[in-house]
Amino acid sequence: MKHERPQSFNTVPMKERLTIPRQAMPEQDATVRSTNFLEVNLGLTPEQAVIEAQRCIECKNPTCMEGCPVSIKIPDFIQLICNQDFIGAAQKIKEDNSLPAICGRVCPQETQCEEVCVMGRRFEPVAIGRLERFVADYAMQHGNGSLESFEKPASTGQKVAIVGSGPAGLAVASDLIKEGHEVTVFEALHEFGGVLVYGIPEFRLPKEILRQEVATLEAKGVKFVKNFIVGRTMTIQELMAEEGFDAVFLGLGAGLPRFMNIPGENLNGVYSANEFLTRSNLMRGYDFPEWDTPLYRAKHAIIVGGGNTAMDAVRTAKRLGADEATIVYRRSEEEMPARNEEIHHAKEEGVKFMNLVNPIEFISNEQGSVVAAKCLRMELGEPDDSGRRRPIPMEGSEFIMDVDMVVIAVGNGSNPLIAQTTPEIQTNKWGNIVADEDGRTSMEGVFAGGDIVSGGATVILAMGAGRKSAIAMNEYLKTKVRNSA
Amino acid sequence: MNLKDQISLMGMDDIMEMCINQEQQAIDLYSLARDQARDESSRQKFQELVDMETAHKVALRNFELENFIELPPADLKVTDYLMEPVLKDNMTTQEIIILAAKREDKTARMYQDLADHFNFDKNLNTFFQMMADEELRHKHSLETEYENEFLQEG
Ligand SMILES: Cc1cc2nc3c(=O)[nH]c(=O)nc-3n(C[C@H](O)[C@H](O)[C@H](O)COP(=O)(O)OP(=O)(O)OC[C@H]3O[C@@H](n4cnc5c(N)ncnc54)[C@H](O)[C@@H]3O)c2cc1C
Repeated sequence: MKHERPQSFNTVPMKERLTIPRQAMPEQDATVRSTNFLEVNLGLTPEQAVIEAQRCIECKNPTCMEGCPVSIKIPDFIQLICNQDFIGAAQKIKEDNSLPAICGRVCPQETQCEEVCVMGRRFEPVAIGRLERFVADYAMQHGNGSLESFEKPASTGQKVAIVGSGPAGLAVASDLIKEGHEVTVFEALHEFGGVLVYGIPEFRLPKEILRQEVATLEAKGVKFVKNFIVGRTMTIQELMAEEGFDAVFLGLGAGLPRFMNIPGENLNGVYSANEFLTRSNLMRGYDFPEWDTPLYRAKHAIIVGGGNTAMDAVRTAKRLGADEATIVYRRSEEEMPARNEEIHHAKEEGVKFMNLVNPIEFISNEQGSVVAAKCLRMELGEPDDSGRRRPIPMEGSEFIMDVDMVVIAVGNGSNPLIAQTTPEIQTNKWGNIVADEDGRTSMEGVFAGGDIVSGGATVILAMGAGRKSAIAMNEYLKTKVRNSA
Repeated sequence: MNLKDQISLMGMDDIMEMCINQEQQAIDLYSLARDQARDESSRQKFQELVDMETAHKVALRNFELENFIELPPADLKVTDYLMEPVLKDNMTTQEIIILAAKREDKTARMYQDLADHFNFDKNLNTFFQMMADEELRHKHSLETEYENEFLQEG
């Protein structure tokens, strides 16, 4: 990737940069935080951020940008931090990423930009994620300039409906409002943000950040409609034909929980991760009795899975007062898809890990509540296509353990509602919407992106897909005007 | 008469015919499910299974043993402990794959029994062993798909 070298503001001699230690992120003490829902990471101080930025060795070919799915101009924003121009740095990131305060917190940097940072070959990589988070927070606290510099464009008179307010939908809204279209976001739930509000817990991503992002978009003119299920409240055809929307973006996410299909999954006390996390996050179960959402306080909660969802669920169970909270995972820790930081934090908070174990049945008492899990031990076989070694059950290794709460976090699929109510939109055999690179679906004027197209992925990929669709939608709308003129 | 006794009275042609029938039953089952499926995604999945089984039948009919020569991959046993779904008209892709994998497993066992039964006849023993292996290969590919799609653990 060709990248003009940014102006260097780093005054630290090159050799010295190698000896500066990576700046540790201040965080809440593990014993304290495992009993509260406040954010774990506290963010770098301005002094730390400048020191961390000075570790960048300004590579001629900055591989960090190649590691970023949306090619944020990482070397440029780091140089602006060296110059203490934090707002400028945030604006630089915003050129490519509309949600930096969120991505700085939840992106798996260790497998993206930081994995390929040249410093990381010999030393620790520059803490790009922490720097992104720092400048985004700084800009939010000091009036991020985004609203102030926003000039309302002349209206095109064209209407765009965005279905789903996750990162994909928000990215489309942010880009299309700048083009002068009338933008309305329809959301099925009673809060906006998708997984960012109902899935990822407060202790990892404070909801206030989402509220601010939504408020900024509202101030720019985006309309937000909640409790509106497209496909039920109104179909896509109705939105277009009756409500006059010229184009529609579907950012529906992959919110349908998957179960394992083993006996006992319907017992009391067995939840999908979605239900469990939604009860806690969105319905503020953690604030019981302030909020009227009871959540069971377990003696032994097991969470089945090894991804970010499983880590969020297990750490939530612990915070809700479970005496013991255990991750039960089919593979070994090396194969876990969760971010390293989440695994590390979970361990610090006292979460137990039972790897190479898979439940095959949940057992109940007379009241139909789960009281035990029958499990099998696994061993690792040959690697699969992803390079992860495959777990294979060990014959005769069954054992039973006492549990009184189970959360299934093995993955999510797409909700079939839109496919069922809009047969014009082509889906694949997994129920994902088929869309081209720019998000065009098989239905004219309807675009889609994020998890509903890719299957469960990441925030940055969903946001990136939304931005690509926004460009294509804008083109589509312009052509529509030309054709009708 | 049980299957093993029946087999002992059959010639090679009849045995082949029986195997082809077994595959045909699978084709019929998946075609029925495809035609009953309510959404496009399930239809696609069942069609894929019909295509797989048809290729299988053609291979058997033409005695294309070269397709079956390789040893099977390890049995992943991913679906062994899952509940067997009942065939119905609004199955999810997840249920379809479990059902198909369990079917492949049963058919593999049948061929394995036959191979064991013919341990005195090297030709038949080898043939059935290869058939059993082929079913296991089929199961493996379904279970791999199941793992990739339904056990992403994201
Ligand atoms: C618990 C959990 C933790 C995660 N942690 C991370 C992480 O640390 N890092 C990371 O990068 N990724 C993480 N992910 C994945 C990431 O959150 C998703 O990839 C991302 O949110 C997808 O964005 P999206 O906009 O496509 O969909 P979503 O965020 O799922 O939003 C879709 C929205 O559409 C709404 N909707 C659906 N159907 C309709 C309808 N018919 N009408 C109206 N509205 C509708 C939904 O209610 C939802 O609000 C996590 C996921 C989960 C579940």
